[in-house]
Amino acid sequence: MAQINERGSTHVYHVNRLSKDMMDEMISRCIYEQPAYCNAACPLKLDTKAMLKAVAEGDYKKALSLYEKASPFVHILSSGCDAPCEAKCKLCERGEGVAIKDIEKAVAQYGVRSKSGGVFRMKKKKTVALFGSGLFCLFLAGELERKAYPITVFCEEADLESFLAAETGFLSPEAFAAELSRLKGMDIQFSFGSKLDREFFLEKRPGFDVVCASKAAALRFFPEAVCDEALMVYPEEKLVMGLEGRVLDCAFAAKRAALSVDRLAQKLDPGNSRGEEGATETRLYTSLEEVQDSVRVPSGREGYTREQAVEEARRCIQCHCDECKKGCAYLEHYKKYPALLGREIFNNTQIIMGDHQLNKPMNSCSLCGQCKVTCPNGFDMAEVCHLARQNMVSTDKMPLAPHEFALLDMLFSNDEAFLCRPQPGFEQCRYVFFPGCQAAAIAPETVKAAYLDLCSRLDGGVALMLGCCGAICDWAGRVEMLDTVTEFIDRQLAALGNPIVIAGCPSCKKQLSAHEGLKIKGIWDVLCEIGLPEGAQGLDRPAALHDSCGARGDQETQKAIRRIAGLLGCRLVETPYSGDRSPCCGYGGLTAYANRELAKEMTEKCLDRSDAPYISYCMACRDRFAREGRESRHILELVYGTDAGAPPDISQKRYNRLTLKNDLLFNIWGEEASNMEPDYKLEFTGEALKIMDDRMILKSDVIGVMDELRQTGEAIFDAETGLLIARRRIGNVTFWVKYTETEDGGYLVHRAYSHRMNIVLRK
Amino acid sequence: MQDKNYYTIDPEGKLKCMKCGVALEKGKAKFMYLDNGFPVELPVCPQCGFVYVPEELALGKVLSVEKALEDK
Repeated sequence: MAQINERGSTHVYHVNRLSKDMMDEMISRCIYEQPAYCNAACPLKLDTKAMLKAVAEGDYKKALSLYEKASPFVHILSSGCDAPCEAKCKLCERGEGVAIKDIEKAVAQYGVRSKSGGVFRMKKKKTVALFGSGLFCLFLAGELERKAYPITVFCEEADLESFLAAETGFLSPEAFAAELSRLKGMDIQFSFGSKLDREFFLEKRPGFDVVCASKAAALRFFPEAVCDEALMVYPEEKLVMGLEGRVLDCAFAAKRAALSVDRLAQKLDPGNSRGEEGATETRLYTSLEEVQDSVRVPSGREGYTREQAVEEARRCIQCHCDECKKGCAYLEHYKKYPALLGREIFNNTQIIMGDHQLNKPMNSCSLCGQCKVTCPNGFDMAEVCHLARQNMVSTDKMPLAPHEFALLDMLFSNDEAFLCRPQPGFEQCRYVFFPGCQAAAIAPETVKAAYLDLCSRLDGGVALMLGCCGAICDWAGRVEMLDTVTEFIDRQLAALGNPIVIAGCPSCKKQLSAHEGLKIKGIWDVLCEIGLPEGAQGLDRPAALHDSCGARGDQETQKAIRRIAGLLGCRLVETPYSGDRSPCCGYGGLTAYANRELAKEMTEKCLDRSDAPYISYCMACRDRFAREGRESRHILELVYGTDAGAPPDISQKRYNRLTLKNDLLFNIWGEEASNMEPDYKLEFTGEALKIMDDRMILKSDVIGVMDELRQTGEAIFDAETGLLIARRRIGNVTFWVKYTETEDGGYLVHRAYSHRMNIVLRK
Repeated sequence: MQDKNYYTIDPEGKLKCMKCGVALEKGKAKFMYLDNGFPVELPVCPQCGFVYVPEELALGKVLSVEKALEDK
């Protein structure tokens, strides 16, 4: 019996092989964290999107606190800003962009500043002197006060009102009064009536750690001064120097200058590690598919009322990208944007000691590659999860439990249920039909009909290979196992004379295409060439075509299937997310084994697209849709007039593969089949069968237990339930069977359960 | 000093070993998984040493410890 070794000890630690750079590159493709268009356009780095959200919720207090991060002088800013954000608003493509500037005015007007000063702020030790007046000086004073520098402003004006009035003539009297009160509340020392000449400057300068000046003042001190505008510094004198310009220019210049003050105060080069400053280009993508055209809420002469601003802010669509999430049950389930989830999964592979909490999410992705198509930037969660799984396996950290059943099933397909024969009368064949393990497990009659049809209508001989292509171990991240399967299949193909493979399953086609020198096509391609057999007929009512995730990016296959559907007379209904954007049914990537609940959500998401019966061209999809109660047919069932009926349970899937093999061996190659049944009677209650399917316990496991029981006689009797109980360790699992004996010397199985821990006696 | 046991079940005479024809008794056993051991007391046949793991234990505590260890 096939067995896979359990992972190593939890006490042994391994070094990982996954490159951080590679993962960084992959993860950087996700643009979820990119700033919204309005935010990116603002040189002051105002979080406009968050501010609009706060206004839309009527929370002016929060909106103001966000707006004040751009500048404490919100009336000056909102009145004088050129609002580059407005032109970048995504809604400009659907009518008019959001009236951000008008909303900012409303925020300045209706917002209430938080009374508490927040946490106690310790004044810095380094002192700053600021010479001059005007917008730049005002904004810089505001920035430096916020950074808690002790500042002294030397200006020619006689009082605070005149200082503020310089260059703010555009303010309404109310706004001016508000800003004056704001300025009065700030902890800034003023030295009014100062004579701003070189002598005065040189006298005052030694008393401060950093000196700043307006452009006019700086030129009076140093007529030859030239400002490095990236830093707002006159480098020769280490003088922070201003500019004259519009409100936004001055506010942005003040931000740059304040950062230079930080550097100079620390006696560093002001050009040192400044980070990204100013407006940026964003890589964000926001779909406007569901956005209606709209225009701005009109404002009166006094600007927006409180309510009007809220209404206008509600037009904001809060630009973000969730293209991948919309179509993917997996990303929807984990409620994290892919860069974050990908990062956490990568970190999961790097844990040396401690819990690998992301094992389940890592093993729950169906590896279907839908996100790579739906993401405007090609982010591929499948690649992240697949590499992470491979890494976990290679470092012996991957638990076997989530994938063991599927892997054993693959070994079963390529061992007990494996069959490879040339067509009778041929030693070597031009073709070999490879229907795939799920086709044989779910629709054995269809496989047989297809094989007989291909034999009768293709020249040069058609061999048959019943087995697994290796997708199972590939999905599980088991590279070495995949190599073994690849070699095994290649050897079989070589013995047949390296025929052209006719795949019955798009995932097999994709998997086998990776074999060197292998020629492959789909049975759908062949049927398009030779026509459909007699009696082929589609459904008599409209049906939805579900594209297989294995055929993603394979336009030829998708086209051939549609052509066959047409020839069958099928009337196909349009579904969203078809073709390359098709979601996975939940079987791919072994999700159905690692996370059964999520796999069900995936199937439901597929079925949500239409109420019609589903036609698919992957047997796993057919099976999962039928399992959810939807009328579901594989296109080959329609081609060959077969009906696999209700979905088989896990034991039936194995039994079907064995019976198909034995049937074909006997009827086509005239070989006697081995007996699959035990030599005693074994029956199951309905409850037992249901429990076994739920718990992934096969009839063959139960037979294994009963065989052992018959040899050793080891069982116990539970007087409370009246049931006998036997057990056997098979591979990495101990199986327990609760049964009663029947009169004919057989057994009736009532319940079964299993555990992976081994139990031993201790002294 | 008393042995540490993670779990104890006393069969209270309700379970019988079919091979030896005697009642199972509370006995010392150990769960082993991924190089970790957990001493427990379970129904054991005093003659042949058959250790019984009840269904509730297998699907409850045992399963949750298995999962925790698998993710170590």
